[in-house]
Amino acid sequence: MKSKPRKDGLAKITGKCRFLDDYSSENMLHGYLLYATIDKGTITGISYPRDYDLNEFTIVQTSDIPGQNIVPEPVSDQPFMTGKEVLHFGQVIMGIAHPDLKKLMGFISAIKIKYEEEKAITDVDTCLDNKVYHFGECMHISHKDGAKVDPEHLKHIEEVFYTQHQEQAYLEPQGMLAEYNPKNNTIKITGTMQCPFFVQEAVKTIMGNAVDIVIVETSEGIGGAFGGKEDFPNLLAGITALLAYKACKTVKIKLDRVDDLLITTKRHPSRVAIVSYTDAITGEIKAVNIDYRLDAGAFQTLSPVVLHRGILHAGGGYCLPRCEISGFLHQSNTPPNGAFRGFGAPQAIFAIESHIDNIGRAIGKTPLEMRQINILRINDEMPSGQIVKEDHLNECLSRVLEISDYTNKHKQFERYNQTHKDKKGIGLVVALHGGGYTGNGEKFLQSKVKMRLDKNGEIQIFVANVEMGQGAHTTLAQMVNEELNIPLEKVNVQIPNTGKTPNSGPTVASRTIYIVGTLLQKLAAKIKLELKCDDLMAYIQDHQELFPRDYELSYKPDPNDDFDDKTNQGIAYHDFSWAACVVEIEYDPLQYKAKVKKCWNVLDIGRVINYDIALGQVYGGVTQALGWALTENIYKKGYPRTRGFTDYTLPTAEDMPEMIVKFIHTDSKVAKGLGEIPMDYPAPAVRNALIQATGVIINDLPLTPERIYQEINRSSL
Amino acid sequence: MIINFHLNGKETSIDTDPMRRLLDVLREDYKLISVKESCGEGECGACTVLLNDIPVTSCLINIIQVDGGSVITAEGISETPLGKLITDCYEETNAVQCGFCFPGFLVTSYHYLNNDPDIDEDKIKWSLSGNICRCTGYRKIIDAVQLACHKLGDQEQKHESI
Repeated sequence: MKSKPRKDGLAKITGKCRFLDDYSSENMLHGYLLYATIDKGTITGISYPRDYDLNEFTIVQTSDIPGQNIVPEPVSDQPFMTGKEVLHFGQVIMGIAHPDLKKLMGFISAIKIKYEEEKAITDVDTCLDNKVYHFGECMHISHKDGAKVDPEHLKHIEEVFYTQHQEQAYLEPQGMLAEYNPKNNTIKITGTMQCPFFVQEAVKTIMGNAVDIVIVETSEGIGGAFGGKEDFPNLLAGITALLAYKACKTVKIKLDRVDDLLITTKRHPSRVAIVSYTDAITGEIKAVNIDYRLDAGAFQTLSPVVLHRGILHAGGGYCLPRCEISGFLHQSNTPPNGAFRGFGAPQAIFAIESHIDNIGRAIGKTPLEMRQINILRINDEMPSGQIVKEDHLNECLSRVLEISDYTNKHKQFERYNQTHKDKKGIGLVVALHGGGYTGNGEKFLQSKVKMRLDKNGEIQIFVANVEMGQGAHTTLAQMVNEELNIPLEKVNVQIPNTGKTPNSGPTVASRTIYIVGTLLQKLAAKIKLELKCDDLMAYIQDHQELFPRDYELSYKPDPNDDFDDKTNQGIAYHDFSWAACVVEIEYDPLQYKAKVKKCWNVLDIGRVINYDIALGQVYGGVTQALGWALTENIYKKGYPRTRGFTDYTLPTAEDMPEMIVKFIHTDSKVAKGLGEIPMDYPAPAVRNALIQATGVIINDLPLTPERIYQEINRSSL
Repeated sequence: MIINFHLNGKETSIDTDPMRRLLDVLREDYKLISVKESCGEGECGACTVLLNDIPVTSCLINIIQVDGGSVITAEGISETPLGKLITDCYEETNAVQCGFCFPGFLVTSYHYLNNDPDIDEDKIKWSLSGNICRCTGYRKIIDAVQLACHKLGDQEQKHESI
């Protein structure tokens, strides 16, 4: 657990690090998107303003696409642009470029699009309650005869939980730069993105045979992503490339914050219905039926993958002897929802963790008793039939109770609330998160990594995984540095570039350290073995003729990891990270406002490589979860939509609770996934604490003062 | 219109549209890329600079408002002894993640530490609350500012003992 300084620290603090908008070139054009401003309908006409000379502008529409008008995704159903049918607000109609940004924006705002509007579904409740609008096949997990039990002896509870959209709110808006070189018919993309090889595929798709080579490189700095730069950059890069090709120039598109909020992907809203049967005397949950639904937005894109992770996390950290889990995707007329830290798991964990508290309340068991009775222990079976190989979740729970003094505080707050106007609450949750791609995903990805040993003893690491703030390029270098004993300043991860780096897969799914880092570590060990040397530096000095030399290694899955994609039975994730959390809140009944005072986190993420960076992931993930739980709200019912950071309320320094973070089993061999689990658990902990404080049961997010006010007044009528 | 002002300690003048945003002038004409645009409406603080020693969001300032005044950006601050001390503290606590908001935080924390380097956490949080960071959860930023307070205190003590 060494906290070595981040390699990118100084350049970022002083502002020297270049982000996408800091790139420019002579004769560069500014590009922008013209998008639909209705939710559903047909385009019937486009009129350009007369006071502009159309010849000054480069315009691309569907008819300009030399390749295919489909963004490559797990389900490729979204067009880059539309010429006629509009299925969501923000659907791109054309890309336009001009040397002068101000003139470009003036021109775009003066273009008039005529539509024939149709009735659209934009509010989540209608979308998720309306069975007519689901599309895609249902995903299903049935474990041990489904949820069949003799219900007569058991407490039967049925509930529905809702969560809403969440915006990633990376501080650097989406942006892409495309250079077209007619001499060798090449397009080079530079951009703020998580997955350079996805972007390359997208540009190849839209350009077809019109260009020979597509190279994608990330900008030096990537100003946050959190999943938001997993798939939207594909669309943006495609259109930017097309503009550059048509104009035969370099084109840069940088989205304005308002547009970024309005048209890019968000966290999926969810509706999770749980039916459970619990032994009212022992508190043991005997059977559970979970119906997990997501609003995919107008197109499916990667939503089936989110749904998959969602249903595989729907049972949470509990042993459910019999269970049946179904997953559905719904179609609405909002922009397609996409990846966001947690990827379907936060919605699942919110529902199950809230439900466990509610069962306890119904049968007279405390939240702690419910968890102690039903928690997933070693050798328990998960819904996918996977056997739990460690008792670490239970250890996380014991440890968090110890450091937070949960049991005493829970009792104290009960008494406090009886005699005080202001209220207090404490919430307890447990969570799990599978590392890497779901099921057979990593087998198909076949990640490959490369290392170059130079004559001067420096090591260059070539991987496709980006440094988007999470500290990956420091941590990956540290993993190699520890294995080879080469000073950290001599080990450097190169900026991902599809022409130079092998495809080690996308920067998603808490997989960068867990999968790619482990692969690099194995490659380093292999090099050491091959060269038969303890002192690599000395070896290189003595054998200069052998260097520079490249080494490569590809991912090999554990042959025992069988997973059946049809039945969802088998090893869903080779390793799970585990966590337990306690949140303490104060509630002000005059303002209907909850404030989180303290947050205790105990996590098993296996080996911790860089303690500061790991801590940073927990602090940041928890903060995003607190925003999701309490304030962040994108769509009100229909209009008006959120139009910027003024009315999309992100947590500030003043909203931060005291944070206590402990990692357990840090001496493990494996460094497991960390990025997402801190997003999974805090929201239900806040919700459970708020219920102790207010006595009012709310089964949805966000818990804004307006929402709490509404529920308190409804229940007192 | 010609606008005269001090930029990072040096006199400068520029002939430009008086209504242009200070943010755009700094980025486009002076190539000061530490000044970042994120929200464009004064909410996030990524474009914070000091205008006459007060932190402002440069996306809400027209260049004419700067005429006769002084502007200091993160580039200027990181060259000062206090700026270097704060930079060290940010590095020492490994506070940075994506880094897009950090030049703004550097400017804000410089202003705080230059005027009233109080170690009180609530005061620090309040002073930083105009800068949004989506990655870090602010904890390590607050730690860095507290560390800077300690270092400044130590410096003062040394100074007094001499």
